Amino acid sequence: MGHRPSSAVPSAAIDRAQFGAAVFGGRLVRIAWYVTPARSRKFQNCTPEEVAVASRALAVWQNRKVVSLLVRRDLKVKYQKSILGYAWSMLEPLAMAGVYFFVFGLIFNTNRGVPGGDDAPGGYVLFLISGLLPWLWFSVALNEAPKALISHAKLITTMKVPREIFPFAVVSGKFVDYLFTWPVLLVFVFSLGGRTSVQGLLVWLPLAIIVQFAFSLGITLLLSSVNVLVRDVERVVRILNRVLFYASAIIIPSAMVLESDTFPTWFKTLYELNPLLGIFKMHHAVWYPADAPDAFILSTSVGGAIITLIIGYVTFRRLETSVLKEL
Amino acid sequence: MAEPVIEAKGLGIKFAMNRRRKRSLREMFIHGTKRDPNPQGAEFWPLRDISFEVEQGECVGIVGKNGTGKSTLLKMIAGVLIPDEGSVEVRGKVAPLLELRAGFNDQLTGRENVHLVGSLHGMSAKMLEERFDDIIEFANIRDGYIDMPVRHYSSGMKVRLGFALISQLEHPIMLVDEVLAVGDKAFKRKCYDAITKMLQNNRTMVLVSHSEADLKRFCTRGLYVKDGRLALDTDIQSALDAYNADVKAEQEEKKRAEAEKKRKKSGEGDDKAA
Repeated sequence: MGHRPSSAVPSAAIDRAQFGAAVFGGRLVRIAWYVTPARSRKFQNCTPEEVAVASRALAVWQNRKVVSLLVRRDLKVKYQKSILGYAWSMLEPLAMAGVYFFVFGLIFNTNRGVPGGDDAPGGYVLFLISGLLPWLWFSVALNEAPKALISHAKLITTMKVPREIFPFAVVSGKFVDYLFTWPVLLVFVFSLGGRTSVQGLLVWLPLAIIVQFAFSLGITLLLSSVNVLVRDVERVVRILNRVLFYASAIIIPSAMVLESDTFPTWFKTLYELNPLLGIFKMHHAVWYPADAPDAFILSTSVGGAIITLIIGYVTFRRLETSVLKEL
Repeated sequence: MAEPVIEAKGLGIKFAMNRRRKRSLREMFIHGTKRDPNPQGAEFWPLRDISFEVEQGECVGIVGKNGTGKSTLLKMIAGVLIPDEGSVEVRGKVAPLLELRAGFNDQLTGRENVHLVGSLHGMSAKMLEERFDDIIEFANIRDGYIDMPVRHYSSGMKVRLGFALISQLEHPIMLVDEVLAVGDKAFKRKCYDAITKMLQNNRTMVLVSHSEADLKRFCTRGLYVKDGRLALDTDIQSALDAYNADVKAEQEEKKRAEAEKKRKKSGEGDDKAA
């Protein structure tokens, strides 16, 4: 829509066109860029190639084969030297779930907080599993984010590929791992009598995955590039991992925080501002319709993910020159 | 006339002396790489103001002392370093023979690595399948080794496998950095033959080397890089001559300085004695 060669096109329309095309990764943006009158170009002090986010997105798309190679290589390496191989992908979340069920389910009796009431189909166990599995995707990606570029230093300094593919490969690789854990989830769903809805499967599940992918990618882009210059990031990540786990309603239903009198309002608002909260509420909403995020939480998680992605990408591009020198 | 395959215009790159470590995070986020972190000149330019063009089918040798930025120049052409000044345009795919072991994963077998790295460099699965035997034969990998994890390979084997693989690339531009110095005599000869063969199809090559014989064997043109600037852009013989003359002059200078020092010392001794 916005790429008609006319300066009469309102700049807002072109900005939207730029953004839309950037998301869908295309040549459109280049056109939009040339068509946009100079005064409405938002990034005044940037060179055209810096704004050509789209052409980079296109380059990443053209290199999707490389991404899949990297992902497959990592999976191969991971499963090659272990006897149980694929089984580990299921055993690890199972063990974690067992521990959390023991602590929170039995000792602290978190059952009462499960969205939809005590007798919601699936109970606390399914709640736990359906939160833990996608959390592992995020958590492992977060852990590997600082090393995403450093571990490929040799490759990056000898081969010309868009550097973005390495963070992208981390997030995609962990996503594939997450998909591999779905059999576990389904076993629990069937044995515990979990129920889903059309809305859950067609709205919340895809939306949760897309938003989580965007958020993880933003974080990975940010951390991988900053960590090359300032190695403190690796330490920060460990803390972040722990804090976000408890801050994102993965094993503790969000209602226990939001509907409790223990916390002041500002704390609850802060809690709701965490984009991961909405993401995991969506993951839970697939099986517990009562946990569906409200408009505010939904907007903080979608908006937060988009902002994170933008910040991550801009930082990545800005630091690229120095990162390459330091690798 | 056809466009030059490689076109460098006012190329320059700078490194910060203190490796940017002292910059605060805040500064880095706000200014990115735009703002100069060390305005007092705690930076240096290993290369500056380099302009040249390379036509298709040319073979260009880069000569110069250690640390004058030859490899940095090659890396900028390869696109793995981004220049801070000027631009370099490369028209065509590049086969980088910079670090031959790059991309090999120690946990995977030689066969898997060949497929992985080959595909990373843009070879199709079919092409790899067809040439796999050639690659193994060229690399001279003993039977059975190819299905062993690469971590059991000797460093020579890894480099041979790397060269064998990358020399199969059909990209029109080759960037070669000192890799001819690897391997035993027999393998070296094979490498020479491979490169000669690659050059026959009107391909372009940029070679960085300290070996005069290598440079003379392949190159027609020479770039002499001196103190981070392009001092000469002529035929390879003149570039080498200029380089050798400079080295000689420098050595003589050194000798003279040393002699001067000695004389001074002995002079001081004389003074004291007097």
